[in-house]
Amino acid sequence: MVVDDDLTAALTALRAVARRSAVARNLQGEVELRLLQSIVDATVSLFDAEASSIALFERDPDRLEFRVASGAQGAGAIGLSVKPSVGIVGFVFSSGQALALSDVTKDPRFDQKTAARTGYVPRSLAAVPLLDDEGTVGVLQVLDKRGSASFSLRDMELLAIFAQQATTAITATRVRRDTGRLLADVLQQLRDDTLTDAQIEVLVSEATRGLDDPSEAPFWRLVDYVEVLRGLGEREVLLVSRILEVVADHEERRPRRA
Amino acid sequence: MTALDLPAWSQPFADVDGLGRSMRLGGISKDWAWGGSTGSGMRVGIIDSGLETTHPRLNGRVVRSVAVEMVDGEPKIVPDEPVDLYGHGTACGGIVLGLAPDVELVSIRVLGADLRGKGTAFAAGLEWAIDEGINVLNLSLSSKSEALYSVFHDLVDRAYFRGVALVCAANNVPAASYPSLFSSVFSVAAHGEPDPRRIYYNPAPPVEFGAWGVDVPMAWKDGGSIVATGNSFASPHVAGMVALILAKHPGLTPFEVKAVLAAIADNPTRDGPGG
Repeated sequence: MVVDDDLTAALTALRAVARRSAVARNLQGEVELRLLQSIVDATVSLFDAEASSIALFERDPDRLEFRVASGAQGAGAIGLSVKPSVGIVGFVFSSGQALALSDVTKDPRFDQKTAARTGYVPRSLAAVPLLDDEGTVGVLQVLDKRGSASFSLRDMELLAIFAQQATTAITATRVRRDTGRLLADVLQQLRDDTLTDAQIEVLVSEATRGLDDPSEAPFWRLVDYVEVLRGLGEREVLLVSRILEVVADHEERRPRRA
Repeated sequence: MTALDLPAWSQPFADVDGLGRSMRLGGISKDWAWGGSTGSGMRVGIIDSGLETTHPRLNGRVVRSVAVEMVDGEPKIVPDEPVDLYGHGTACGGIVLGLAPDVELVSIRVLGADLRGKGTAFAAGLEWAIDEGINVLNLSLSSKSEALYSVFHDLVDRAYFRGVALVCAANNVPAASYPSLFSSVFSVAAHGEPDPRRIYYNPAPPVEFGAWGVDVPMAWKDGGSIVATGNSFASPHVAGMVALILAKHPGLTPFEVKAVLAAIADNPTRDGPGG
């Protein structure tokens, strides 16, 4: 039957995309980190600051994880995780608003314990959200300018520009995020009576988790879910083909390592 | 990056010579606008992280606290504890009272541990506050959710037509954020002059007003106080000014209040046409 043939071909292509995505993600994780590192290096240098770091939002469990840091006092932050609702970084993440403090030690909300874990408790701090199309994905912060006790508006503007670069680096390299968004978009097209919001969420979440797993096994569950949608009519199958074209096109356009 | 790509943050207010105006509405002074006013009779809503009602700087002026809770993915308005999870809402409330000591404050908490600043919670809190008929709402937060664009658009229109003044901190990245970019709201960024009643009007929006937002002393969590910088703290200065004007001139619409603020703004005067 024609429909089945198309579907089988579609699923084969989907498997290929999954495999490529997983490989690409492994490779590009390093690229993302290197780009973010270069941004905090530049931030520390430009501000002549004691430290700069970037925390990214991660799920399961929800947390802000410090991925890169720079400066004489920066190294201790790397790898630390904080709840997204805690401290100054948490506030900037939650509200999407930039904030600068001249004396964090006077701030009762300032998380002394976390700061102590990094081995450095700052005096002043500026933090800006990393905002992509979907919301806040992380926070860029700078601790203690050596030449000044506080941060100026110009500092905040510059920091916002660095934050934008960091966000661009993240969105350009984060295969997982892109793929998740892509799947959500295309599955929306398929919904009609076939898929509920909850099912779409399940599909996307399976896809996202799958890319983290070297075995790729969970991603095949996504494929299985798609197979369950066998009640598809010809129109829907066409849509699936289009989905795959989009995914394939996305794969083609993304720069790869030699 | 060109100047046009720079964030909608503070540049217009960093060098106020560029804000020179040769034409402005006459006959309106700060004294006319708010002389003798304490904000009495006005209610100001703080859509934020909560209000610490016992904080000395809030001076017992908090009359109500609600929070948005997410129940099965749907936002629901519930009574809230009189606490502030970060200090940010209390800071904003304290700044409003510094200008308008006799307003009543209402806390609408949409940020917090279990909300993670969900845009839907923010929209639900805003809708509740508008329907409650609170006179002035301070929004030192924003959403970038494209999905909520039309939701916020409807709410902002509803507020405008009902005469509710929405005072919104501008975001600091060169990207859309709502509702601060809608034309009917009071969109605010920071200037660095330590004067709570100094205001600039920017004739080249989206950011229309500049108020003090650099190294501002303010109330914070657990009865504390800090010095902080951000558009978040410029916005409540304008909210306070709006409350003063409305208390003295009840019934002015948001459009009229904006015109008053533009008329009394501290922009330099420039010769010649335009401006």
